[in-house]
Parts: sequence; C-alpha cells; structure tokens
Amino acid sequence: MTKRLWLVITFPSTTAAMAMESYCQKHDLPGRLIPVPTSITAECGMCWRAPIESRDLFDVAVADDVVSGGCFYELWL
Amino acid sequence: MSKFVLDVRGEQCPVPVIKTRKALEEHGECCEFTILVGDDNAAQNVQRMAKNRGYEAEIAADAEGKLSVHITGQEGIAPEQPLQEAETVCALPVAKNGVVVAIGSGTMGAGDDELGRLLIKGFIYALSQQETLPQTLLFYNGGAHLTCEGSPALDDIRSLADQGTEVLTCGTCLDFYGIKEKLAVGQVTNMYAIAEKMLQASHVVKP
Repeated sequence: MTKRLWLVITFPSTTAAMAMESYCQKHDLPGRLIPVPTSITAECGMCWRAPIESRDLFDVAVADDVVSGGCFYELWL
Repeated sequence: MSKFVLDVRGEQCPVPVIKTRKALEEHGECCEFTILVGDDNAAQNVQRMAKNRGYEAEIAADAEGKLSVHITGQEGIAPEQPLQEAETVCALPVAKNGVVVAIGSGTMGAGDDELGRLLIKGFIYALSQQETLPQTLLFYNGGAHLTCEGSPALDDIRSLADQGTEVLTCGTCLDFYGIKEKLAVGQVTNMYAIAEKMLQASHVVKP
C-alpha cells in the first residue's frame, strides 16, 4: 500500500477524540478517527487523521479548544 | 452504449488500478470499458477492484495473448463509490494461511456501545494497514451493517477487498435487518459457507 503524508492530531483522552469527530462532522472538516500510529506512541488511543493540505482548516478547532492538550503531527501513513 | 478504452500497458501497479478507478468515476455515463493491461497481475487487480464496485469485469486475451479487462455496468447507473483519499490497491498481501476474521457485531467488546462502534471502526482500519491481510472477513448479525451503505468502516473494508481479502456477509442477517439492497462490498453468503470458512480456517479472529 502506498503511503502518503497526513496530518495527525492526537488527544489526551478517547472521549476528547470522540468529541473531535463530532466537532469535525458538525463543521464539515475533513478526516477521520484512526488508532494512534505506533510511531507516535505504543499506548492505545484514537487520533484524527486528515489530509496534510487541510492543516489550516483546523485553526478553528484550536480556537474552539477542541484539541486542547493534543499534538499535531505530520506522518507518512 | 458508449465505450471507453484505457491503455495502462507498461504502467506498474498500482497505477492500472488507480487509473481504472478514476476512469470509472469520470466516465460514469459510459457503460462499457476496455482496459488494456500489460500482465496478468494488473488484469486481476483491475478486475477485482471493478467487481468490488459492482461492475461485471472479465479478463480477455486476444490471439497474440494481449490482455484486457472488459468492464460493464448497468446502463444509467453511475459508479457508486467515489475515489476516496489517495488509497491505492495493488499486489496481494493476503495471507494464504487461512486467517478468518469473524465480525458478529457493529461494536467491539462489551460495555459502552459508542465506544464499541469507535473500536470496531479502528480495528478494521488497523486490519487494512497490516502487511499481511486476513484471507476472509465474515460479517454476520449486527456486523452485517458494516458492509452496507452508510457504514463508517466501508472504505476500509473496500480497501481490504481491493487488496484481495474475501468479504462475505450473512444473507440471513441482511434480510433480517432489511438491508440486503444496501450491501456495498463483497458477496452475500450463507451459514454453510460461514461454517465451512471457520472450520477450514487456520485461525478465526473474533474482535
């Protein structure tokens, strides 16, 4: 499977990740929840994966405090 | 009936599959496609992708042995699956060791259903990212919803199917839930086949 560069946003909890999913659906933001890649952490969790070119669209999520405590990554997946 | 010819000879996998998929999308008004391919692997990959999207697809060879895939759909019905993200389809990383994943619920584990739906979605995504894929995915009871239109796991199940994993959904279950017409990936199966797949499997994985 060919890999591509993705924007990956992690969260401090599973409920925060689920809230992000609801938020993105409501605001029509691209992406989806996936299990956190092991290249970030070996621990269990869910993260938001979105096209890398959509990075700026998530400023609104930052402003709305939806990704508080999370981290932004750029990963080949 | 209009015709569309696409020449992908000389292209390396996964390019033939990607170009064919785009052609099916962009020329939805066409009802007959001929894809000229360079080798048998490309032919099989293109055929599998087309069949997974509900088309009839047959591989043919001319007198000189040149291969092509003839794809037809129902007139007036456009391809139902838009090209998602940049996921590609190629090769056959499917295990020949008979691993069967049996999914009998729309959730994973017992407890909170919302969490369970999230987990099964994540599980199927993770499955699709493995280097070695299961040979067969079985869906039954509540799991039958996952292979139907509107399923949040549909893209990942399609990706698995495109890569060679067999996807089978219980027909009794589709009928019970009234979603037989909504099946969007794989084939309908019955309990004899489900029992046979499980009995002949090297491992049965139940998430």
